[in-house]
Amino acid sequence: MKARDPDPARLHETPDFESNILRLVKGARECRAIKLGQVDAIIDRVSGRAILLPDAQAALLERKARFRSLVELSSDGYWEQDEHYRFAMCTGAAIGSEKSGVNGIIGKMLWELPFDNHSEVDWETHRTQLEWRAIFRDLELRRIDDSGKRRIISISGEPMFDKELRFKGYHGITRDISERKQTEIGAPESDRFARATLDALATKVCVIDTAGKIITANAAWHVFADSRNGNAADCSEGDNYSARTAEVIGSESVNNIAMTAGIRQVIAGEREMFRYKCFFDTPSGLRWFIATVTRLHGVGAACAIISYEDITEITKTEQLLRLECTVARSLADSNSTSQALKAVIRAVCETQQWDCGRYFRLDPETSLLNIEESYGAQVAGVEQFVDRSRGTSIHPDAGSAGRASKSSHPIWVVNGSRGSHMSQGVPAHETGLDGAFVFPVIAEGKTLGVFAFSGRIVCEQDDRLLYAVGTIGKQVGQFLRHKQEEDALRHSEARFRRLTELSSDWYWEQDSNFRFTKIVGTGIVGAGDVLGKTLWEVPAIVLSDDEWVRHKSELAAQWSFCDLEFDVLLPDGQNRHYLISGEPVYDEIGIFSGFHGTGLDITQRKRAEIELRKSVAGLRDLM
Amino acid sequence: MRRKKSRGKSSSPQLKNSVVMRLYIADNAPNSLLAVANLKDICQEFLKDNFSLEIIDVLVEPFRALADGIVVTPSLSILSRSPNGKIVGNLSDKSGVLRALGIRG
Repeated sequence: MKARDPDPARLHETPDFESNILRLVKGARECRAIKLGQVDAIIDRVSGRAILLPDAQAALLERKARFRSLVELSSDGYWEQDEHYRFAMCTGAAIGSEKSGVNGIIGKMLWELPFDNHSEVDWETHRTQLEWRAIFRDLELRRIDDSGKRRIISISGEPMFDKELRFKGYHGITRDISERKQTEIGAPESDRFARATLDALATKVCVIDTAGKIITANAAWHVFADSRNGNAADCSEGDNYSARTAEVIGSESVNNIAMTAGIRQVIAGEREMFRYKCFFDTPSGLRWFIATVTRLHGVGAACAIISYEDITEITKTEQLLRLECTVARSLADSNSTSQALKAVIRAVCETQQWDCGRYFRLDPETSLLNIEESYGAQVAGVEQFVDRSRGTSIHPDAGSAGRASKSSHPIWVVNGSRGSHMSQGVPAHETGLDGAFVFPVIAEGKTLGVFAFSGRIVCEQDDRLLYAVGTIGKQVGQFLRHKQEEDALRHSEARFRRLTELSSDWYWEQDSNFRFTKIVGTGIVGAGDVLGKTLWEVPAIVLSDDEWVRHKSELAAQWSFCDLEFDVLLPDGQNRHYLISGEPVYDEIGIFSGFHGTGLDITQRKRAEIELRKSVAGLRDLM
Repeated sequence: MRRKKSRGKSSSPQLKNSVVMRLYIADNAPNSLLAVANLKDICQEFLKDNFSLEIIDVLVEPFRALADGIVVTPSLSILSRSPNGKIVGNLSDKSGVLRALGIRG
């Protein structure tokens, strides 16, 4: 196989070129064609070479020169390397020094030239690229030229192969970018600076034109767009963002309808700014954003700037605060344990997007977790799940509820079927519930029960929620403990009252000025209304002056008194007889708040005693 | 350089059998380019899909040309004719080409 390029010098310098040609061509048709100027090349049977005729030769050379010229127009130089990466040719002096010119480059490899911005590691990387026969573009090389100025050269190249696909070297172009680089470095307020600033922002930003098409977007926008493949948010430069948002359907369609309307209003100049809180479903869960569309004035094709500020962290913190407040309020407003538990379950479900929740009370005697309260969203699968779990019990060694009860720590289960967090016999996967979250209710270091929440959407573990539910678990635990104590106290008080009622006729209470504030039972019959009066202010009560002094001094000293006996003069002239006993009462901080005690109507007993005394006296008289 | 164009079954009314041709050229030299353009027009107009054409660059494969008895380029060798027909030149003589192809008189 011969080389493609003919040797024009040899052909034209040969004096008897025409006779040589005629010697090669014997056929009449061929000779005629040559004479008509319709032949480009003649094949020499002896040498096996194709010899171009002068016109064809000139045309091909001209074409090649034109190509070179075009290459040089679009670049500062053209170069070729052999298969050992040595420069075989180079036009333009961009690579080498001005003094030595092209001769200083031929036969050398790129890394043998005096560039000062590449380390050995960089060259090694470049060599690897070459070994892989990769195309390289815009490799920036820096050198000091003969006048001492810094020059920056951009070099691009691609591999060459022959027809057997054997590697023959590289060829490419060079461009002197010194001035452009200098301009970029010397102008900090330039586009490059603005671009770098924009890219440094964590907020996703893009600029759109009047048609809603994205002109430019920052790095954060591109990162988010990549993660949102298939959604409106995956728009990039050149895409019509406004049109894409209008196309979206599904859970985010409401967001996008609002955004589309907002963008259109801002583009139309109906408003200067549009702000909207929206959310996106991302692989790491829901993320919330404040979207802002701001109108731009006098900046060319740019019409509006769209930004998405990620407020997920703030939103989640707000949700947790709202949850804690709701729980605290629910506990404060609840009259019963059942009401409180239901309110807490509902608050967690609604603020944290769980489909249903249940409370299992730990029975200290059997150690079983018995379901006590439940709440679920009104969705078929969820209702079925809640219904089927009613009345069930969980062994403390079973499932995540049992584990949470035993460990006193919250548990987050991503796959419900793995954790078997649900009631025995009600696997979550049967009902479509696949995520779970369980936390214990603790009071004074003891587990009273567990809350278990389930959902159809598998959410990633939320550490802040896990931390927050520790507090909620303790709040609920304290509430339950107080309720237990209240109930115990109420029962005890009721028992005491019953006993008091059995042993006395009435119960009374006085304030700190010894005025009656409460009388339960028969009271002082025949004495009129005694409430608001002290004992000695009741006119019907008969007591000697000494006894009054003694009683008042006992009260003033806040002493208990027992069986103070007094008479009450009835309108019919008869007397009724009473005994009262009392003790001082103090409030929570120890301040005296009055007296309380009991009273006993001893009229019958006294009358019987009187009758008995009379009878004894009668008998004595008879004797 | 070798360019080969193969077509399916005949749809041309003029020819019963497919025409098999080889065009020998010299790179992008003027007459070679002209020959390719002229042959392309003839094929489109008269042969439709009923032909097979191989283009051989003699600057790359001179021995193929020699083996086929080709001395100058451009030359068109019609292999489907017996004996093989050959046209020398840039094929600007359309009637001569058609005659050689057996399409007209």
